Amino acid sequence: MAGDLAISASGLVKNFGGKRVVDGVDVAVPTGAIYGVLGPNGAGKTTTLRMLLGIIEPDGGRRTLLGHNHPRDASDRVGYLPEERGLYPAMRAKDAIAFMGALRGLDLKTGRKRAADLMEHAGLGYAADTKIRKLSKGMAQLVQLLGSVVHQPELLVLDEPFSGLDPVNQERLEALILAERNRGATIVMSTHVMAHAERLCDRLTIIAGGKHRFEGTVAQARGLLPMRAHYVPDRDGPDLAAHLPEGAVHGKDGWRFPVPDGGVEAALRRLIDGGHGIAGLSIERPGLHDAFVRIVGAAAAEGKQETVA
Amino acid sequence: MSANSNRIVRQTLTIARRDFVATVFTPTFLLFLLSPVIMLSFGLIGGLGASSMATSAAEKARIVAIVAPAQQAAMRATDARLRKLFGRSDQPPVLTFDTPGADPQAQARRAFSGAGPDTTAALYGDLSAPKILYGGQGRGDSRYLAELAESTLRADRTGAAPVSTATFTSVARARASSGGHSQAAFFSVFGIFFLSLLLSGQAVGTMAEERNNKVVEILAAAVPLEAVFFGKLLGMFGSAVLFVGFWGTLASQITSILPAGMAGGLGEIGPAIGLPLFVPLFFAYFAMAYMLLGAVFLGVGAQATTPRELQMLSLPITIVQVLMFSLALRAAGGNDGWVTRFAEIFPFSSPFAMAAHAANFADVWPHLLALAWQALWVAIAITLGARAFRRGVLQSGSGSWFKGRSKAAVVHEGVA
Repeated sequence: MAGDLAISASGLVKNFGGKRVVDGVDVAVPTGAIYGVLGPNGAGKTTTLRMLLGIIEPDGGRRTLLGHNHPRDASDRVGYLPEERGLYPAMRAKDAIAFMGALRGLDLKTGRKRAADLMEHAGLGYAADTKIRKLSKGMAQLVQLLGSVVHQPELLVLDEPFSGLDPVNQERLEALILAERNRGATIVMSTHVMAHAERLCDRLTIIAGGKHRFEGTVAQARGLLPMRAHYVPDRDGPDLAAHLPEGAVHGKDGWRFPVPDGGVEAALRRLIDGGHGIAGLSIERPGLHDAFVRIVGAAAAEGKQETVA
Repeated sequence: MSANSNRIVRQTLTIARRDFVATVFTPTFLLFLLSPVIMLSFGLIGGLGASSMATSAAEKARIVAIVAPAQQAAMRATDARLRKLFGRSDQPPVLTFDTPGADPQAQARRAFSGAGPDTTAALYGDLSAPKILYGGQGRGDSRYLAELAESTLRADRTGAAPVSTATFTSVARARASSGGHSQAAFFSVFGIFFLSLLLSGQAVGTMAEERNNKVVEILAAAVPLEAVFFGKLLGMFGSAVLFVGFWGTLASQITSILPAGMAGGLGEIGPAIGLPLFVPLFFAYFAMAYMLLGAVFLGVGAQATTPRELQMLSLPITIVQVLMFSLALRAAGGNDGWVTRFAEIFPFSSPFAMAAHAANFADVWPHLLALAWQALWVAIAITLGARAFRRGVLQSGSGSWFKGRSKAAVVHEGVA
């Protein structure tokens, strides 16, 4: 395996009908990590994942998956939950899980036994013999996830795993993902819901407009934006804005402004000297959501400029 | 076998097993298995109807002999004797007699316009030079009346007793006749065509199931598409074998319930290559025909997105298949001309034509060559179908196939 990377790809390119949908994306997934592939709708996340798995061939770039140049050579060591969920409606739940395991090298007998255990563990034991067509969408989605882990893969690729799930099933899914990581699996998941990425991912890449925009930890992504001070004055005054630092924004619950390089002390002194009291003051760290919006927003602006040019 | 090949074989069989189980263990399959009963029932009802119409038409027709009462008995006896030469369905209409009046010609003409059964032919005048009138449908019957007159007079002159008495003994041939080879060839071509057309048509919608269920993404991520296609074909072939096995077993028992004479007739039908070799060859050619046609149906059906598209795409394939059948029928005649040779070599008619070859000729080696050739074309059809699916449906690769290959090569070179 290349270093400690479960997946390594650089300069991936894909064109559909003359349109470049993925343009030079790099991915480096450390072994044992939960790695997020983030991006807005249509960013090229799914196409990137499909290229990494060998479902479609890239038009350019290079990739290595679990040490193999041809992803399919590692097929038995990989689990995959596609964005568009797919199961045979007439199959029983545990047979569907065992079938997916069998495609990845697990014998059917062991697959059925593990399927029953996994379903029991996920709180779905009562539905093991139920046909897929009779399961709710959320349950079918969990069954498919179990099908992608039944052969205990080293690498689990989940494309928008939380989409369409209610909060209870989302929590179940998070627990399953963490259990897989604790087992030792490397997990790659695409999402555009920042809360899940923030809670689960060790590292992430952000793709927008088919291009790679960011790669690093969640903390590094959040670090792209300055911390903000949340100031609540004791009273409003007409000259209050003049005493606040540049970039201050008024909201329903007070004022927010970027923490200056030298800290907030100087700004507070100016307010106090100007006769403004302090009813509340807190320092806020920007979330992944803010960082994402900033990165993707910058990408969109860049795209518009390119279009104009 | 390498680990990679092992994995592909295992994945192919997993898909085949899933498709076989999903097809066979359903109530619909029972209906499918019994569909020949429905077809036979309709055939039987149609046959009975046609037979009833034919009988009814025969009962409504007659031939008329206007002869002197003294000659009528002799003529009736001759009629009874001559009728033995005709099969049940070829019997001339009932013979009726009229006594000649003043104007027998007018009397004969009146027989065509009178009420009652339709007269198809009427004889009058002296039996040594009879005059025979006949209607639109009665030309054959008029010839029969002429023969009746001739035989009646001949019997009258040589005496009533037969001058020759034959003894009939049915003999069963030790080996099939040349005509029997041709008949075996025809039945082979027809059997393989009928079975492959009836059964391989199922393959057209199988990838549509995967597409509708979105399972194709799961399969494509785990298994090479060629293995998916081949696995699905194998699964469908399994259910076809079940079908053929069921009806083949029933059909093999037919000779035991047929009358002895009919069974003896069937015994004359046989392949030149010998039954022990012909049976596995027939099955092998059926398998090849099924796989070839199934691969084309599967590949074309995989491109369709709606049932209407499926139907529209199936029709041209079926028409081509009927053309192949016609071509192979030519080969069934046992001629050694270029058309026969072409039918034996052209991949899509080859299974039919080679089955006919086995029935007509005793040589074995062409079959080994033909089976290898057909297997190659099965592989080509599957590969092309999978490639078209990958490019058209999974949207992998850009532009032409050759362009896609060259780009892929660059990618892998870069990786290496």
